[in-house]
Formats: sequence, structure tokens, C-alpha cells
Amino acid sequence: MSIAQAEATELAIERPVSLSRTALVRLRRNPAAIAGAVIVGLFLLMAVAAPLIAPYGPNESVGGLASTPPGPSAQFWFGLDEQGRDLFSRIVFGARLSLLVGFVAVLVGLSLGLLLGALAGWTGGRTDALVMRSMDLVLAIPPFLLAVGIVTLLGPGVLQVMVAIGLVTVPQFARLLRGSVLAQKESDYVLAGRAIGVPSWRLLLSHVLPNAIGPVIVLATLTMATAIIEVAALSFIGLGPADPSLPEWGRMLAENASRLQNAVHLVLFPGFAVVLLVLGINLVGDGLREALDPKLGR
Amino acid sequence: MSSAAWTAWEGADPVRPPAGPLLSVRDLQVRFVTRDRTVHAVNGVSFDLDAGQTLGLVGESGSGKSVTSLALLGLLPRRTAQIPAGEVRFADEDLLHAPESRLRQVRGNDVAMVFQDPMTSLNPVLTVGRQLTETLRTHLAMDKQQARDAAADLLDRVGIPDPRRRLREYPHQFSGGMRQRVMIAMAIACRPRVLIADEPTTALDVTIQAQILELLRGLVETERMGLLLITHDLGVVAGVCERTAVMYAGRIVETGPTADLFARPRHPYTLGLLRSVPRLDAGSDLPLAPIPGSPRDLTDAPSACAFAPRCAYATDESRERLPVLTPVDGDRDHLVACWNPVSDAQRVSSA
Repeated sequence: MSIAQAEATELAIERPVSLSRTALVRLRRNPAAIAGAVIVGLFLLMAVAAPLIAPYGPNESVGGLASTPPGPSAQFWFGLDEQGRDLFSRIVFGARLSLLVGFVAVLVGLSLGLLLGALAGWTGGRTDALVMRSMDLVLAIPPFLLAVGIVTLLGPGVLQVMVAIGLVTVPQFARLLRGSVLAQKESDYVLAGRAIGVPSWRLLLSHVLPNAIGPVIVLATLTMATAIIEVAALSFIGLGPADPSLPEWGRMLAENASRLQNAVHLVLFPGFAVVLLVLGINLVGDGLREALDPKLGR
Repeated sequence: MSSAAWTAWEGADPVRPPAGPLLSVRDLQVRFVTRDRTVHAVNGVSFDLDAGQTLGLVGESGSGKSVTSLALLGLLPRRTAQIPAGEVRFADEDLLHAPESRLRQVRGNDVAMVFQDPMTSLNPVLTVGRQLTETLRTHLAMDKQQARDAAADLLDRVGIPDPRRRLREYPHQFSGGMRQRVMIAMAIACRPRVLIADEPTTALDVTIQAQILELLRGLVETERMGLLLITHDLGVVAGVCERTAVMYAGRIVETGPTADLFARPRHPYTLGLLRSVPRLDAGSDLPLAPIPGSPRDLTDAPSACAFAPRCAYATDESRERLPVLTPVDGDRDHLVACWNPVSDAQRVSSA
């Protein structure tokens, strides 16, 4: 037993570290991920404190109607639009909408995808075949076209758009989780768990899922970026949130596309906002992927 | 060592005297059926295991040892594995035809298993305490605090120092030997009456091996458990097991008390196995004698002695008819399945 004791004292220096904490530590060492987190953090702050940050209301006409809206100035940082509304204020308020849509869409896709993926991977056999073939069917339709179809079916509105975009991402989540669950299902600790009589559902929930969830978290962050672009795209083709006064970045792009020649700022700034937020989320997602990769040493 | 929680169990589980042997396996057969072929992995295995007894199941890779052990608890993949014949009785209860819900109670409670690789048999993302208490809470319906105390007690019993602190740690913070101790702690958590250990020391280095075997032997004595020790290591068998069964190509070819089997191996395969292990007491100039050839392809059902193609003693009968286990020289304790068993004279002259 002396060897055992020696081992114990040697290990006593190391404190218990959970995987999520290790991942966080690794994330902090990655400069790109930090940059991404800062960007996303700024947008989050903008969304939460929009009324405090924006100098004017999103629909407040401060300059009056103008056929050639004035560009950026000291008073109006991003210039005014054709209805005399402050573009900076509209973009700040728009962050709320984009982040909300991104978040809810991912939530819809993630929850349904997790359910189906876990079911398919864990039960296998016919259920697996049935679930995954229907997922393949959905994947065969171009995602944007599918989103357009669902919005047309559900009708316009913020909630409908979020659900539509979320539904489109379900097969990706389901497929990823199923693969992950299949890999874990064959592992020794699952067999060991069965050998001491752990119930099947408990093995799935408390043993397999925590091990299989890593890649899904990464996909969720990256999907959020895609969702934000898709909302903008849906708005651009006129299928976005119904209320025309909502400061949606994609709609701003669409409404002002024809003004590129005389008021480039009306397209430039909303476009820039979309790109920057998506970039930030992607950087965080990439960082997470590396941080959660068990193949990279601790 | 024995704290309040541990003694509380002793009252909870009175030892019933079993009518027959504790674990009895008769003519067990396992096939793996896939689209293009059928593998006859286990072809009629029989053995008994009593409380407080240790039985070693020895054989090379692919001889069906692990498949046999998984079949006992219904842990084989249902899609491909078939059990066309045989009987597995635990305390006179038929396990082969028991429903999954009953098997789940048996697993861990009555019969538990320890696996070969402690590095992968623990869930990497959960603390050791969480995994250990899970068993206790599932089978013994303990509350959180009771389970925690009992878990610390178990770690102490398997020789892990500072158990309360170590419960909060993750598997990667344990060494291989310590993880195997944790696996054993999990297996004995509900005081099973039979412990199946599938190559429990193969992934460990030699000094740790000895400690783990010592621990298992101690548990057999104090708990009166039946231990089925599956291994390819004859040294392990010699040190721990009272009885030994040698498997080849899914059949037991020779079985008997370990000392007798090692001193007077009757089956040419057993003899071959013993000859291929280096011995300290033999002269260093004595060359090791490998067994020629490779194990039989198990695609066809056995119809003759599976070892015949590799055997120096094979006769025409060996190549035509399947030998069954028969007593050696009228000794009902030592059985061999061979048409032309090695005699004492032959063994001496060939050495």
C-alpha cells in the first residue's frame, strides 16, 4: 500500500479540474477567441443598454425627410436615412433583434436536434433509420429555400422567422449528436455501466450526453452566426419580421440597396454590423472547438 | 475500515445458502451472425463457480473467454449475438432467459464485472464520486449523504488513501492502478456474490498487477464472493485461482484444480501454453517452445478437435471427431477434451 500512498501524495498537488473549467482556461489563452468574445460582448452590451447608448430613438425622425440623406457627421455618427432617422441609433437597437433571433433560432434547432439525435443514436435500429432518413430528406432541400418555405407557411413575424430558421438547422444538430452518441455508445465506460446495472436512460443522460455534447456546443455558436445572416437575408427579400418600423439590419440593407450611389452609408453600416457580429461569433466558436477538443493535450 | 454504513449493509443482505453451485454454466453457445458470415465464438462451455471460490478462465485472444463472460450477464450486442443453446444459472435462477429488467437488477447487485482497461472504463467527464455513488443510489436506494459515506468507505476498502478528497476528483487524476481499484470498488459496491474480472490486470504494470490480484484475493476471502478470473496470463492463474479452465476455439479443452493442471497438463494445448512461458526454475539454456500455427478460424461449427492442425499428438480421430471433456485417469476433478492426451511419460521425454 506504500506505493498507493506515494501516488496519492504526488497527486495531491493537483486540484480537481472539470472539463468545462479546462476549456475555459484554454479559451482564455487563445487571442482570436478573446477578440471574438470582446466583439460579441460589445454587441450584447449594445443590445441590453440600447436606450442608454443610442442618442435617439430607433424611429425618431431627427433630420426630416431628405431625398439625399446626409452622411456621417459629428452629430450623427453613421449619418441619417431618408426618413431622417439616426442610423447609429437604429443599428444599436437592431442588435437586440439580431441577437434575439440568433439565440432563439439556435434554441429551437438545438433542442429538437438534440432530442432526435440522441433518440436515433441511442436506440439505433429502425428508429435510427427512420429519424435519420427524414433528416436526410430535410437536408436535401437548400436551407434558405426551406426557411423561405416555412416563413411563407407560418406567415411573417419575428417569432415565425426565428422558428423557421431554427427548424432548418435541426438536421445538422441531430446528425452531429447522433454520430457523437454512436461513438460514445461503444465505449468501455458504457459497457461497464451496464455491467453494474445502470438504467439505459440514465446512461444516456448522465454519461453519454455530457461526453457527446462538445461538438454540438461548437455547432450551436456557429449556427447562431448563420441564423443572424439568414434573418438579414430573409428581411432582404421581404420575408423578415413584418413590422416595417423594426430596425432590422437586413431590412435596412434591402431598403437602401437602390441608394448605393448617393448614400452609401445606409448600406455600409448595417452591412458592417452584420459582418462584425458574425465574425465575432465565429471567432468564439472556433476557439471553443479547439478548447473542447480532447485530442489537444490538457 | 468497517464504518457504520458498511455494517448497515451486512444486515441488509442475509446470505442465502444456494441449493446447487452459485453460478452454473452448461453447454453455453454463442454465435455472431452478420450478413456475410457466422462466427462460432463459444461452442459449448460448462463450468461451476461456488461462493468463496476462484476459477481461472485461460486462453489466447479469440478463444471466447470474454464473450463467455459477457454472455453470462446478457451484455452481448443483441443485434449480432445469438445464444442458440446453453444454460446460465445464478443461485438457481435462469439468467439466459431473464428479461432485461431482471438482468439489470442482477448486474451489480448479484453479479458484477471488472473490465480490462481502467483507462477507458470510467467516464472521463464525471468525478469518481459521482460514478461510484450512482451505483449505490440505483441499487440500494441510498440518499446522497449515505451514498457519499459508503463510497468513501469503498475507496478505503480497495486501498485508496484519502478517499473523501479523491471522490471529488476526475478519472484522469488517478493512475492506472488506482483507476482499477476504483473499478473494483464500483463492482463490489452492492456486495455481489459473483465477481467477473475480465483481464483485470492486463493493462497494468507488473507491481500494480500484484497489488490488484492481492486485493481481489482478499475480497474473495472476506466477502465469500465467487471470482471468475479471465486472463491469458498463466502466472496470474497460478497465483490466484483454485481451479483453472483452459479455453481454445470457444471450448474448454482442459479443466481441473490449478496445481494439478499445472503439474500434469493432459491437453497438448495446455502443455504448449505452459511450455511457452519462461520459467525461473528451469535452466536459462532451455528454449521457449512456441505453439506452431495460428488459432482456428471460427467461421465453421466445430466438427473435430480444433487444435488438431497445430498439434503434435493429433491422431486421425482428432481430425474427424469432436472430443468431449472426460475424466483423466478416473479423476473426476480433472477433465480433458482430447483423443490422445499427453501421458506423464510423454511429457517428461518431450521436455
